[in-house]
Amino acid sequence: MAETTGQLSGGTASLPGARSVTGAAIILVLAFTPQIIELLIALAGLVAPLSSRGPLQVVAAHASALAAAIPTLAQQYAAGGKTSLSPDVLMALIYTYPLIAVGVFTFLVRPRAPQDYFGGVVLMAIALFALWASSDLQGMRGFSFGAGTAPRIFGLLLLGLGAAVAVIGAVSPGAQLATYHWRGPLFVSLAILTFAVSIRPLGLLITGLASFLIAAIGSPETRWREALIVGICLTGGCALLFPYVLGLPMPLWPRFILQ
Amino acid sequence: MDLFANLAHGFAVALSPINLLMCLIGALVGTLVGVLPGIGTIATVAMLLPITFGLQPVGALIMLAGIYYGAQYGGSTTSILVNIPGEATSVVTALDGFQMAKQGRAGPALAIAAIGSFFAGCVATVLIAILGAPLTKLALAFGPAEYFSLMVLGLIFAVVLAKGSVLKAIAMIVLGLLLSMVGSDIETGVSRMAFNIPELADGLGFATVAMGVFGFAEIIRNLDAGAEMDRDLVQKKITGLMPTRKDLSDSTPAILRGTVLGSILGILPGGGAVIASFAAYTLEKKLAKDPSRFGRGAIEGVAAPESANNAAAQTSFIPLLTLGIPPNAVMALMVGAMTIHGIVPGPQVMQKQPDLVWGMIASMWIGNLMLIIINLPMVGIWVRLLRVPYRLMFPSIVIFCAIGIYSVNNAPVDVILAGAFGLVGYWLIKHDFEPAPLLLGMVLGPLMEENLRRALLISRGDWSVFLTRPLSAVLLAIAAGLLVLAVLPTLRRKRDEVFVESEG
Repeated sequence: MAETTGQLSGGTASLPGARSVTGAAIILVLAFTPQIIELLIALAGLVAPLSSRGPLQVVAAHASALAAAIPTLAQQYAAGGKTSLSPDVLMALIYTYPLIAVGVFTFLVRPRAPQDYFGGVVLMAIALFALWASSDLQGMRGFSFGAGTAPRIFGLLLLGLGAAVAVIGAVSPGAQLATYHWRGPLFVSLAILTFAVSIRPLGLLITGLASFLIAAIGSPETRWREALIVGICLTGGCALLFPYVLGLPMPLWPRFILQ
Repeated sequence: MDLFANLAHGFAVALSPINLLMCLIGALVGTLVGVLPGIGTIATVAMLLPITFGLQPVGALIMLAGIYYGAQYGGSTTSILVNIPGEATSVVTALDGFQMAKQGRAGPALAIAAIGSFFAGCVATVLIAILGAPLTKLALAFGPAEYFSLMVLGLIFAVVLAKGSVLKAIAMIVLGLLLSMVGSDIETGVSRMAFNIPELADGLGFATVAMGVFGFAEIIRNLDAGAEMDRDLVQKKITGLMPTRKDLSDSTPAILRGTVLGSILGILPGGGAVIASFAAYTLEKKLAKDPSRFGRGAIEGVAAPESANNAAAQTSFIPLLTLGIPPNAVMALMVGAMTIHGIVPGPQVMQKQPDLVWGMIASMWIGNLMLIIINLPMVGIWVRLLRVPYRLMFPSIVIFCAIGIYSVNNAPVDVILAGAFGLVGYWLIKHDFEPAPLLLGMVLGPLMEENLRRALLISRGDWSVFLTRPLSAVLLAIAAGLLVLAVLPTLRRKRDEVFVESEG
């Protein structure tokens, strides 16, 4: 999940030395991304059978966790007890609140090297997310490492490094954000997705050609007749090479034809 | 002499018909990816990992090794003839190589590049054979603390030698370490950061991440620039491959220096072929009586980096074979290949698998011989390949990569993950983060954690063990020293200069 959130900060483009409102807004969205993703999964759960909480439950749980996180923490501190906090509360405390702070901070500063600044911030987000994800793991037991020790060490290290990259990016002049293009990434990703989804049910021949053509949309210079011929030849070649010459088990034909 | 007996044994293994064929395939594929810009060695090796399932381990490793050093040969062809480096390692070769080609001296440039590579390959092969055994003995004296310190040193080397900001490179390594934690904990079996997704229970596949970050991300990035790459192919027919006597006498010292420098940088963890070619070019420029000739078709500017990158590509096998520690991303994939075949890389490989180690070493020399034939007389064929437009090449690479990842575990989820990492890789490129340290961190992560745990368990939780054991202390001291040097402004300026050359 941290990986998919990573690319959300793409598409930001800020004026040189300007206050980056878009950037701050994107960081705020990033702060709520895990909750949003869980909600989306829950919504998908309405259609397809997935073992997760219902969408209303998700919204309620996270809303109360976000509202009650600090009082809960204070309460627990006052009690001095070892009552464990729920994952939702921990998410709010470890991930969401710090990122909201970073987002507000972003609104106030004018990063002089946006490329580094936003790069560092996203690394911090990944680190915080990893810290949350490993918060349920056992820590040190005496002098021996628990399962969670190493992830926490590296998580904290990455948090520090990300913060350092961001601070340097905020203070010293450097590169602007590079421009993102949407066409290449979109269609190449779509081609990969198509391949993953349809290789099992549809087999290599159809999947290969379809993904080839989808990927080809990614470039404005594609000539269709040429792409079609090459696509067919390539798919045919792969159909001979992988299952027969290399002996890798791979469905060639659609499942419904075989049945 | 053990050495000769071992080498003889190696040649007996490498000369068996099937291994010769594997070597030839590796060399051919390597040359192919070397020649074609837009597809790198790392992606290719990752792509071919699953294919090696059905092969004997020796044949599989011979083939994968052939791809790595073969790409160093192929990369020079594109650099010289088209002024686009086919491989990152040939970036500097393009500076003088293309100028020579423009002056109608493409033939000698190609020949010197091949001769230099061949010479360097031979030296590096001998070096691996000689250094293998003693280093293995050293490795046996290593405890967990030393191993941990050595890996820290390796990662620091990777940072110091990487392009760009030291801080960002360290951040990438730590990100890689963190990614390697996903999946089951080796000691307790607890599932870590897997979010109950069954496909993540086994951890993120190394080949998956490599393919995403290096294969898909590279394609997407290339599409940004427009698929129609500017390929001002040298149209003139290449005549007269033979270099003149003056060419030879000019380039001999450059080849020698390049070989030495490349061999050293290859052995050092974090080094490898890319940095070797940059360093060799810079060294030649510094030593030259008339540095202004560089960039205008100086033959030393072709000879030195090409020898250096080939030497480094081969000597980087030394830490892998003797210590079991991959010094760069390609070697990290070789670890993956060995693991697929049930071989645990490390000092014991040399004793337990003499066929594998010596067969591979011998095959390198044979492979170099094949490559000189593949590259010189057949250069015309490779050049013709360059006319295949990128708009047709990139969808083909996407499909090949997708099939490759799918066949590792027959898991569609792996393909999606690789696609996601492709986008991550694209984002990393846009924010000027280097993906190679990330990959290295990911491979070394489990090893580092295991040794750290074990060292602390043995010392009963005493962290000073890393400083009280002499070998470990020395390694850490070197690492700290390097890091300080890298951050010092004077050296950093020098280091940046080396990399700026490439953009000139």
